[in-house]
Amino acid sequence: MIQLVQTILLGLLIGGVYALFASGLTLIFGVMEIVNVTHAAFLVFAALLTFEIWSRLHIDPLLAILITTPVMFFVGWGTYRLTISRIRSAPVSMSVVLTFALAIAIEGAMGMTWKNVFRSVTPSYFNQSFNIGPFDLPKAQVYGCGAAVVVLVALYLLLSKTWAGRAIRSSSENPQGAQLVGIDIKTVAALTFAIGTATTGAGGSIMSVLYSVFPASLYLWVSRLLGIIVLGGMGSLPGAVIGALALGVAETLTSTYVSNQWAVVVYYIVILVVLLIRPQGIMGFKARQDVVA
Amino acid sequence: MKVSPKTIRWGLLGLGALLLVIFPILAPGAQYFQTVLILIFLLATMSLGWNVIAGFTGYVSLGQSAFLGIGAYTVGILSMHFHVSPLVFAPLGGVAAGLTAVILGSTITRAREHAYVIITIAFLFLMQALGLNFAGLTGGSAGITLPLPPWSEAIGNMPFYYLLFLIMVVSIVLSWWTRRTKFGMGLIAIREDEDKAAAIGVRTPIYKILATVASGTLIGVAGGVYAYFLSFIDPLGMFNILVSVQIVLACLVGGRGTIWGPVLGAFLVVPMNEITNGVASAQGVHLFVFGIVLGAVVMFLPRGILPTLREWWERRHAQTVAFERRSSSDNHRAAVRILERPPEPITGPLLQVDGLVKRFGGLTAVDGCSFGVNEGTITGLIGPNGSGKTTVFNMITGMFRADAGKINLADRRIDRLPPWQRAYQGLGRTFQTTRLFPEMTVVENVVAPLRQFRWDNLAADSVTGREGKRAEELLDFVGMAHFAEQKAQKLSFGQQKLVELAQILMLEPRLILLDEPMGGINPGLIERISWLIRELNRQGLTFLIVEHNMPVVLQTCDPILVMARGKVIAQGHPDMIQSDPVVLDAYLGEDWAKPAERKEA
Repeated sequence: MIQLVQTILLGLLIGGVYALFASGLTLIFGVMEIVNVTHAAFLVFAALLTFEIWSRLHIDPLLAILITTPVMFFVGWGTYRLTISRIRSAPVSMSVVLTFALAIAIEGAMGMTWKNVFRSVTPSYFNQSFNIGPFDLPKAQVYGCGAAVVVLVALYLLLSKTWAGRAIRSSSENPQGAQLVGIDIKTVAALTFAIGTATTGAGGSIMSVLYSVFPASLYLWVSRLLGIIVLGGMGSLPGAVIGALALGVAETLTSTYVSNQWAVVVYYIVILVVLLIRPQGIMGFKARQDVVA
Repeated sequence: MKVSPKTIRWGLLGLGALLLVIFPILAPGAQYFQTVLILIFLLATMSLGWNVIAGFTGYVSLGQSAFLGIGAYTVGILSMHFHVSPLVFAPLGGVAAGLTAVILGSTITRAREHAYVIITIAFLFLMQALGLNFAGLTGGSAGITLPLPPWSEAIGNMPFYYLLFLIMVVSIVLSWWTRRTKFGMGLIAIREDEDKAAAIGVRTPIYKILATVASGTLIGVAGGVYAYFLSFIDPLGMFNILVSVQIVLACLVGGRGTIWGPVLGAFLVVPMNEITNGVASAQGVHLFVFGIVLGAVVMFLPRGILPTLREWWERRHAQTVAFERRSSSDNHRAAVRILERPPEPITGPLLQVDGLVKRFGGLTAVDGCSFGVNEGTITGLIGPNGSGKTTVFNMITGMFRADAGKINLADRRIDRLPPWQRAYQGLGRTFQTTRLFPEMTVVENVVAPLRQFRWDNLAADSVTGREGKRAEELLDFVGMAHFAEQKAQKLSFGQQKLVELAQILMLEPRLILLDEPMGGINPGLIERISWLIRELNRQGLTFLIVEHNMPVVLQTCDPILVMARGKVIAQGHPDMIQSDPVVLDAYLGEDWAKPAERKEA
């Protein structure tokens, strides 16, 4: 029983971090209908960047969020302007191919820079735990989840309380309507992509403490993140949080009670089952498809 | 002597094929180049397969390499247990891949666009994970080592070379043949507009499953041969997403939807891989170059080399099509007979709609709508925007499923039938904004509809003599015969309306639903379409027309149904409708003056 509760608690902590990882992906899909596979590459890149910051400047990885987030914001802005903006009128599936291509290019660039070596950031607390009653919670997981929650709350406030946030949400719900009331949807798209990518700055910094990272590990994250946003409902931020918590727990339970190597299979099964049975996920909605412009 | 481009093309192809056939005999020592060519044949085969599902049918998959892995593992596992040449099992690799394709293909009957891409990615990763985890069957991450070929070293890789060459040639021939058949035309129709394809009788689920099988089976066979060639397989190498991405790149570079594009692409992509791998052995450089090239192709050469060249050629050799001028007297030419045999007699109205309801979230678009359409009438359906007219059309044709209510056509209940079944029952429909298949020619658009589903029909030529003649007649009837060979997307809106009418006439429909046939076209064309409707009606075809052009409606339709807030609020003779206070209040307006009275004023 204690093991079960412990497993679920750990799953929730992991899920909180996953929620941050997936938040930018679902935001970008919601506003511009792009399945941004590059997101996973950006996460790994930010994690490796954090590794450099930590090993050279001795800055705590969670503090490095303050550096990686703005860096990734500009990376996102530039990526959108240089690449994604060129294919906005192409079918959604081609955007998957393009973002996949970018992910591979980034993987290659990371391989040239950092070689295919596992790296992880090991601050003093990385192998310590909090002992609360019978439960054992790794400090890194707790801090990581805490940082993720802080960033997610900041993202939520940004989207709900600022003009830019409202512009993003209105573009997400009705691009034509947003354009009519004076929102420059191209700038909003670039801004959304930049904000979505900025979350990989914080996400990557947290990832660097919790996981061993190497360039090709992005593929593992592609399927994890897709599983999360598909389950939650693609485009829904609350959905991503719910999906992340649910899958964090499911993954942890599977690796504890079945085996590690089946844990990742949970994601593939979830993707297949959800997309076949309830394509809109938990929080998504089915848009009316017949309205012709 | 002048040689036609066709002769040149066939000559070059023949020469190329000949060179490939004699290459291993002429240069038996060139093992490296043989291997490169083997990889080219393999990639071309896989890319041709991908082209069937992504190029013809329009479903982009990133899981295509799974078929390679399934074929390879089928052969690998069998050769562990049976000590005969693994090549014997290669066809079984194809069978296994084909069966898997049936399952994967069934998923696209539900998932569209991004959902399908994500499903294929998950499917590939799932296969890889199963290969790793079912170690008892697959050897897990340690992989499977196949026996070494028994033949002498002098023969070397020649058997693999010729087998994979043969599989590639078969793939090319099958692609070419598919594109010519009714099956291939149905796939293109699905790519261009899936709902429309269903509405004109294309039984889309069967087409999509067959397309997936056609795209995967030969890859499975090739995978079996390839496994023996490699003599070692493991899940990470065989179910590799980077292989999928190479397949995609080869097809995109060469030209998606063409026959030779994937082959050309394979001849470009494999050497590129070899060069980047050779120049810089570090994995990173290879991936970097590969990613940049793929990205650049998607952004700057989205149609691929062959279609871009063809477009350039056509622009240089443009031909103008004379616009057909007609006087109104031309309209009164003898019309073609639409119904080849008289329809079965029925007891009630031809179309009977009872208590239809459709909700979109909180909005009830259609709220208990009931009406009947008698055979032989031209029935008008009018009402304010948003009153639910088009939604009713969508439920009658099966694009939407009604939340409640019944629809009967010719005494048969149709509201649970899929759209193509309704088309077979004699239902044809045009769209408010026309929905022709833009990349098809006008005549292809007209022959695309199917009156019934027959398996043997799938393999028939897409344009047969009889149907071609029929299409010609119908196009002549609507006055569009001169445009038969033009791509539909090049036509004006009004011309598209005429072609769309000819298209649904191919279905020999008993009831035709027209959604705003007079919207956005010039007065001359309005007159022509009105004449066409009356002429077809004279032959016994029944019409249900949504239209806002009141003078035309009043002149053409009888009876008229009036919808408001999702229900029929009035129906009857045009004169009655015009003076009905309920209709004036809901739609026409208090100051509506009958056209007759207006003339006097």
